Amino acid sequence: MASMQKRLQKELLALQKDPPPGVRVDEASVTKSLSTWQVDMDGAPGTLFEGEKFQLLFKFGPRYPFDSPQVVFTGPNIPVHPHVYSNGHICLSILTEDWSPALSVQSVCLSIISMLSSCKEKKRPPDNNFYVRTCSKNPKKTKWWYHDDSV
Amino acid sequence: MSADVTGDGAGAEGGGGADVDQGTYECNICLDTARDAVVSLCGHLFCWPCLHQWLETRPNRQLCPVCKAGISRDKVIPLYGRGGSQMDPRTKTPPRPQGQRPEPENNHGGWTFGDGGFQMSFGIGAFPFGFFASAFNFNDGRPGPAPPGTPQAEEERVLSTLFLWIALIFMFWLLMA
Ligand SMILES: [Zn+2]
Ligand SMILES: [Zn+2]
Repeated sequence: MASMQKRLQKELLALQKDPPPGVRVDEASVTKSLSTWQVDMDGAPGTLFEGEKFQLLFKFGPRYPFDSPQVVFTGPNIPVHPHVYSNGHICLSILTEDWSPALSVQSVCLSIISMLSSCKEKKRPPDNNFYVRTCSKNPKKTKWWYHDDSV
Repeated sequence: MSADVTGDGAGAEGGGGADVDQGTYECNICLDTARDAVVSLCGHLFCWPCLHQWLETRPNRQLCPVCKAGISRDKVIPLYGRGGSQMDPRTKTPPRPQGQRPEPENNHGGWTFGDGGFQMSFGIGAFPFGFFASAFNFNDGRPGPAPPGTPQAEEERVLSTLFLWIALIFMFWLLMA
């Protein structure tokens, strides 16, 4: 637990001091144990999401960074994207099987920005309705079958 | 477009010169200065306890956390800084792998009568030499020789004489062949 907090403390400081463009940690949302953070994100200029604002919710378990964080979109605006379900769950392999402890909140944010930026058509995943009705609250419990990256 | 984002990110990172210097010897997992440091063959630095925990987390898929190259307990090199041994000698749950001493390469060619050389040049003779060894070290690892005078001692004496003769005949045969 202590090592998880120590690492999150370092990440939080780095992200506050030197955030990637369009990314801000909502400091008021960070819990005392550092196990929950909310991150505000702007749609990148020149992409289909330009001008939109999103919120990401990060939840860290005691085994972070060996276990991936739980990351979902939250708040009023969930991006309409083929890998983002309307309940905020994100189908992104680094959040489950391709997670590595060398990844961080910052690298997850950059991956999500890049995922949004490469979108060519704003639409929900084809199985959105079924998934949203049947899935667990925790996206990490979903056995994802990763979509083709070219979508 | 995504390239723009990454480019800007890298630029911002490069801006903090002091941080970059400090980061050189930080563990890629805990982001602290690496303790009980090991380096992977792909050159990535970790604390051994951190890396060990990661290897245990995914025993069937052991990849470098940074670059996804194959990695394993046997394929990391421990780093020893000066004065490292003065560190708190706590009993480390995952012991750091030992530094290895691979044999230096023989650049001058020809045989050396070292460990490997002997076995290679006499490889064909392995059976007879093994036989000699067992003949001459008859009592190895067993209770000591039976006291002289007993029938057992007599038997052993006969046996070892017999083996000695077989050995001598065999050597003779080797010389003649
Ligand atoms: Zn470490
Ligand atoms: Zn590596």
